Amino acid sequence: MAARFLWASRVASHLRISIAQRGFASVVLKDLKYAESHEWVKIDGNKATFGITDHAQDHLGDVVYVELPDLGRSVSQGESFGAVESVKATSDINSPVSGKVVEVNEVLSESPGLVNTSPYEDGWIIKVELSDAEEAKKLMDSDKYSKFCEEEDAKH
Amino acid sequence: MRTPRTLEVWKLGTVNYLKSLKLQDKLVSERKANRIPDTLLSLQHPPTYTLGKRRTDHNLLIPEAELKSIGAELHYTQRGGDITFHGPHQAILYPILSLRSIGFGARSYVEALERSMIEFSSLYGVKARAGNKCETGVWVGDRKIGAIGVRISSGITCHGLAFNIDPDMKYFEHIVPCGIADKEVTSLRRETDAQLPSEEVIHEQLVTCLAKVFSYDDVVVKEDPSAILNTLEDDD
Repeated sequence: MAARFLWASRVASHLRISIAQRGFASVVLKDLKYAESHEWVKIDGNKATFGITDHAQDHLGDVVYVELPDLGRSVSQGESFGAVESVKATSDINSPVSGKVVEVNEVLSESPGLVNTSPYEDGWIIKVELSDAEEAKKLMDSDKYSKFCEEEDAKH
Repeated sequence: MRTPRTLEVWKLGTVNYLKSLKLQDKLVSERKANRIPDTLLSLQHPPTYTLGKRRTDHNLLIPEAELKSIGAELHYTQRGGDITFHGPHQAILYPILSLRSIGFGARSYVEALERSMIEFSSLYGVKARAGNKCETGVWVGDRKIGAIGVRISSGITCHGLAFNIDPDMKYFEHIVPCGIADKEVTSLRRETDAQLPSEEVIHEQLVTCLAKVFSYDDVVVKEDPSAILNTLEDDD
């Protein structure tokens, strides 16, 4: 736990955001927004970076493959734009906001495991140009997302 | 008081692979919209080789053109996992479940599928185990008896597991099964001297094991496959 908190602190200071230590294992970063399908998004003006959360990567298992979208492709909030494969399961990744893909993390083709070891930093998946800045309001903040994860995990 | 959970099981007999994909697509949409409960398809396929999303066709050892001559088809799918073979006397279960309703992630789901097959194997005194890292599936010693390949979209599962009862093992010689070169494939027939009941009974037992592992309160069996298979034609 302590090691993960240290890692989270390093990530946070790199991204210049603050974190909250939670009772359960997964890390949630304070200044990101979150979708119910466990993707995080960092908005910077009209650009957004996204990936999957620590909770998501923990529940997936070791990622062996990441299917990335083509540059220039449109993505829509809540719709699938790619997938990850782990433990013989392909899981769709949904877009937390709508926009146009301007950059994809090519490193993931060689090192898909970065999604597990560094879900908020080196494991980022795509960057988009936002088409509707208002959409981010539909997403959860870190407190809401933490609670959401707790409720989901309590189901079994 | 927890709401009781129901699993609806369709016993479909032998179904062509493409037809089963179409059916699953339809059921996934229905499940996503909450119009149907968690559903399980219990079936077999005619001889079929399938590939997963990574399209590892270098693990098919004969030219695609030759497949027809051995009476088999080849299909590319969106599931996880490598190349595999499906055919008569291999029990297939395709669970169409909402993972979010049970708080499962991909890893815990696949582990539960493995446990279902392990539990089923034990009914015949066969000591099976889950695979090591990177070897998802169910093994007896170093021999693979059950395979898994799953797709999860918006938290709804499709594809599933394949358990070898007594398939024609020669078909496995034309592939590197699951991309693992140095391990054998085995079957229930090969691992036990026990008298095997009819395949219908075997399928039922496998379904029961899965329902138990996933803690379903009720299992409703639908025995008229034409009820859902025929509706596929209407959509064409």
